[in-house]
Amino acid sequence: MTDPHSFPPPSPYLSSSAETSAAPAAASAGPARRATLRAAGAGALFLGLGLTGCRSAVAEAERPAAAAGGTARGGTLRVAVNADFTPALLFAQSAQSYQHRLLYNTLTRYDDRLRPQPELATAWSYAKDGRSIRLTLRQGVTYHDGRPFTADDVIFAVRNLQNPVRAAQLRATAAAVTGFEKHGDHALTLRLAHPVANLFDLFEFMIIADRETVEDAVTGRKLNGTGPFTLSRWSPGTGLSLTRYDRYWKPGRPYLDAVELRVVGQADALVSALRTGQSHLSFNVPGKSLALVENAPGLTVTDYATGAGAYYLGVNTTVRPLDDRTVRQALARAVDRDRLLRQSLGGHGLASATPWPTSSPAYSEADRTHYTRDPGRARALLKSAGLGGLDLPLLHLSTPGDTSIAESIQYDLRQAGVRVTLEPTDPATAQKRLIAQSMPALWTMSHGFAQVHPATLAVSAYPFNEAKNTSHFRSPEYTRIVREAWTSTDDGTAAARARYARISRILLDEAFIIDLAVRGQVQVASTRVRGVTLNKFSYLNLDDARLV
Amino acid sequence: MRSYRSYLLGRLPSALLVLLLASVLIFAILRLVPGDPAVTLAGPDASPETVAALRERLGLDGSPPAQYAAWLGSLVTGDLGPSYVVGGEVADLIGDGLGATAELTLGALLLTVLLGGALGILGATARRGWVRAAVRAFTTGALSVPPFVTGVLLVLLFSVTLGVLPPGGRVALLDAPDLGVQYLLLPALCLALPSAAVLGRYLGDGIERALTEDHVRTAVAAGIAPGRLLRRHVLPGALPPVVTLLGMQTGHLLGGAVLVEAIFAWPGLGQLAEQALTRRDYPVVQDLLLLLVAVFVLVQLLTDLAYAWLDPRIRGE
Repeated sequence: MTDPHSFPPPSPYLSSSAETSAAPAAASAGPARRATLRAAGAGALFLGLGLTGCRSAVAEAERPAAAAGGTARGGTLRVAVNADFTPALLFAQSAQSYQHRLLYNTLTRYDDRLRPQPELATAWSYAKDGRSIRLTLRQGVTYHDGRPFTADDVIFAVRNLQNPVRAAQLRATAAAVTGFEKHGDHALTLRLAHPVANLFDLFEFMIIADRETVEDAVTGRKLNGTGPFTLSRWSPGTGLSLTRYDRYWKPGRPYLDAVELRVVGQADALVSALRTGQSHLSFNVPGKSLALVENAPGLTVTDYATGAGAYYLGVNTTVRPLDDRTVRQALARAVDRDRLLRQSLGGHGLASATPWPTSSPAYSEADRTHYTRDPGRARALLKSAGLGGLDLPLLHLSTPGDTSIAESIQYDLRQAGVRVTLEPTDPATAQKRLIAQSMPALWTMSHGFAQVHPATLAVSAYPFNEAKNTSHFRSPEYTRIVREAWTSTDDGTAAARARYARISRILLDEAFIIDLAVRGQVQVASTRVRGVTLNKFSYLNLDDARLV
Repeated sequence: MRSYRSYLLGRLPSALLVLLLASVLIFAILRLVPGDPAVTLAGPDASPETVAALRERLGLDGSPPAQYAAWLGSLVTGDLGPSYVVGGEVADLIGDGLGATAELTLGALLLTVLLGGALGILGATARRGWVRAAVRAFTTGALSVPPFVTGVLLVLLFSVTLGVLPPGGRVALLDAPDLGVQYLLLPALCLALPSAAVLGRYLGDGIERALTEDHVRTAVAAGIAPGRLLRRHVLPGALPPVVTLLGMQTGHLLGGAVLVEAIFAWPGLGQLAEQALTRRDYPVVQDLLLLLVAVFVLVQLLTDLAYAWLDPRIRGE
């Protein structure tokens, strides 16, 4: 029997056909079915092409490395990054510096106790007055285009960082190098304007780029270095493809055949890439998403306790009543750093009232815990400053992670009687206001440079700069001690430790920058990955990395 | 009745005016937004001296009219110059991104037509009530669930749980078609679902309306074969508004691609726009936004032409 609903019931056509003739109604089921089946068939073909194609995209991403002589060799390590490489920032610390040590080398590298170790410089010795340093350079090193590395490349590298358009945060340190004296191709002396305490920060930071192609490098056209990998391709927005440099100066290294840095900007997509094995490694999983990967099979989470920067609450000391340091100290006591660390940073990092990670010579447990949450005391301090309550604006970056931190601060300050109005701001605008010193009463952001020599923080991180900073804080004592720390080369002595303690004391007492938590790099990696390290400026080192 | 050429020429001046006004607006709005490329390049730890040196190098110290004139000049000569922040040549960046977005949009458009067509025909002609109800429920769901939820669900199902499709990234279709299709499927489906739902409903309504027309009733009475009936009598009446809708949906697909590209790490124009906009890369943002306006204007123009082709009376109006 013919189904009367072969064409739509509300249609007069349906009723007429059903009533007058069974044949058209029966036949009318044809086009509907056929058209639908054709469409479905085309869709299935489209899907089938993908799913039953010659290769599976998922299987392609999981090709194993070959084992040779007991060590896994070969394979392609895929690193998920949340931002693309910015060639214009090749000589500055940026959000994405992972490729720097893959394509280039630095002169030295720090170990976990900030002791310099040889890289392209194999030996060094300071003059007695600290106003020059003699470097012995590694021989047999070649750039990827075959040109040998010489002392001229070091001279160029230093001069290159002295150029303000390179936006190198360590420009002040580079600028302290006032002269060069070559001793053949593989030794030279750097003459200094004054003893420079953080010279090895510069050597850790400064990549030795090819002087003949530097303008091509800052546009991303050619990245010619001495590092373990050469650039195969940079696809803006997609990432970098690197292949093993067979003439790398470290014998037998690297183990990997290739490295791919893939841009995966969205947090959920990044987590999915790791969980599905599409990516082997990432340092960009946001704090709140770390719980998703911590117990995922096949993944490991590792903290780099040496720090990569710190989150802070900035205070504009020209805004009344924040010109009173008692009020600023009240804010410092109102914040619950432990809760902020747990809730906003996934528990990874170190709640701290000072910017220093545990590896810093300026670190002190007493200073770290100098301010702990005490809303009662915060209220008492405000009262002693003649304030019953307070309304303040708080600028923060509009990203989810930064918003979470700002909300945490807002909640804590409210407990101490300070009502905070949040001002979410996009990163470019926030940076503009930071540098233009036009921040509102409060702001929260992160800073770098506490993970290296303590003097670098005050010399190279603008929020802490002794001469000009966003908080408008000036202090002859701060300027004196910072200058002294920068121009002394007595690291490890009691006098040096006393200076660092004095800097910390000023930062804590004056509270123009209220540190909240030291953030370390958090590595999420496949259990197949071994031998990955980062330098202090987050340059990825894969010399010894392998896929097992 | 006017020819296609005169019909097209009649619409060109307004299209050019839209582009010129859009260029002024884009330029002005970008300059009014705080922050500039020099600031984002310098970073949060930089000194004002570094920012000043960068501004001078990038030519941002010139007057706004001079900067606007330079931009228009670059558009006229076709030499878009280098990107300030993202890196590389603007033309290359946009060309690569355009290829990826076009691939995604066309894939989504194809799925929209296939899925929307199937839903429309099924919804209007299915014999059983529960099938039509299921089609309505599916289209309602596809319309109401936002793409960022659909995207995450698709990744969870096909990538994390079943492990049959990659969760993100792109292999160009021209480089490796078999892999490229697999990378394309999930983002294209995520992007296509809402449009397919709209198209399906529109088409279904159109078919139902067409079925009530006298000439269709006559054709049925004359015993014309159902397939021919649908192709020759029902769809020609139902399709013109659907084609208009498809043109508009193409614009929506381009807009929606921005979000879907982020979810699936698809390196298209959306990703490029987001990256360039947040870092105030003026040349990239300006050229990109103007290109998007141009594409939208072009699509509308093509839609008008298609409409005029399907219904010749339009040209005479």
